[in-house]
Amino acid sequence: MTDQEAIELINTSLTEEFELDMTRMVPQAHLRDDLGLDSLDRVDMVIVLQNAFKFKIREEETIRGIQTLGEIHAYVLAKLRAAQ
Amino acid sequence: MDKTCTIEFSLEKKLPFLSCLMTLYAYPMIVILTIAGILVFPFLFTAYKVVMRWTHDRIMRALIWLYGRCWIAVMSPFVRFRRQGFDKYVVSPPYVIVVNHYSFFDTYCMALLPFHNVAFAVRAWPFKMLWYAPFMRLARYLNVEDLKLTGTLSAGAEVIKSGGSVLFFPEGHRSRDGRLQRFSSVPFELACETGIKVLPLCITGTDVLFPPGRLSMRPAKICLKALPPIDPPDFEEPNGHMKLRKHVKDLMAKTIAAMQAGQ
Repeated sequence: MTDQEAIELINTSLTEEFELDMTRMVPQAHLRDDLGLDSLDRVDMVIVLQNAFKFKIREEETIRGIQTLGEIHAYVLAKLRAAQ
Repeated sequence: MDKTCTIEFSLEKKLPFLSCLMTLYAYPMIVILTIAGILVFPFLFTAYKVVMRWTHDRIMRALIWLYGRCWIAVMSPFVRFRRQGFDKYVVSPPYVIVVNHYSFFDTYCMALLPFHNVAFAVRAWPFKMLWYAPFMRLARYLNVEDLKLTGTLSAGAEVIKSGGSVLFFPEGHRSRDGRLQRFSSVPFELACETGIKVLPLCITGTDVLFPPGRLSMRPAKICLKALPPIDPPDFEEPNGHMKLRKHVKDLMAKTIAAMQAGQ
């Protein structure tokens, strides 16, 4: 899977799960202020990413600290590279 | 003007007065009930422990259910409570229970359930209410925001293993426009992991009683309806929990619409 494919999968999974507008899924989008995702939604975000990429997320504290969509992209890409 | 119209018009005219009367009555009564409950709690807890020999959390859930029943009695002069479907469908707990969410008082209405051994999975803010928080912790309610996913699934599974049900408001917020909001996947993930049936409950009327953003209360007719429990294995992987979630949400949306239309 290329980085671009992974980013598209992240964006598609999140828009489907949280009923978001794909046009707002830009890397600098703030999870709370731009996409309306709160701390409870982050719990669901873990489920979404685990199911999309078939990996386990044990570092939930890291997810908690993520503020933008671009940081989610970076986190997932780093995990995929580590798995390879 | 026919008689029905006359009666409805007359009630509508009286509503502001009834609302004022109800608000002036209900707030102090709830405070008195809560203080009385806190004072009586040590005696009831000890009595349950000696007679029933239940665990701490189960006793606490029974006492919270009893508190809810007292709240129902207090509100009864102004609120009509009804439940449907429980005799037919609610046969053998435990369940993962999911309920739609209109009002702060939705949790109190869960005392309409015919069983008491229910741990609520909620956000962090109710745990900040100092007069309730110790009892919630003793009842092993789940703070989903602090526990995060793995903690919530683990704690929820423990409740279920000990015979308790776990109740979620999967919307996460009270609806401000009466429509069903996005459902969290967490309760359905728990149901799929434990194999426990999902019990969908639909509540109406609490949005009239005490909606978000309003401090006054209004007379209301509250109905809590149980739908047939749903078996998670019926929803295949991959993403069985998401299929289960969508199915339950669709069912509940149709049921709530029918309930609000008076069917």
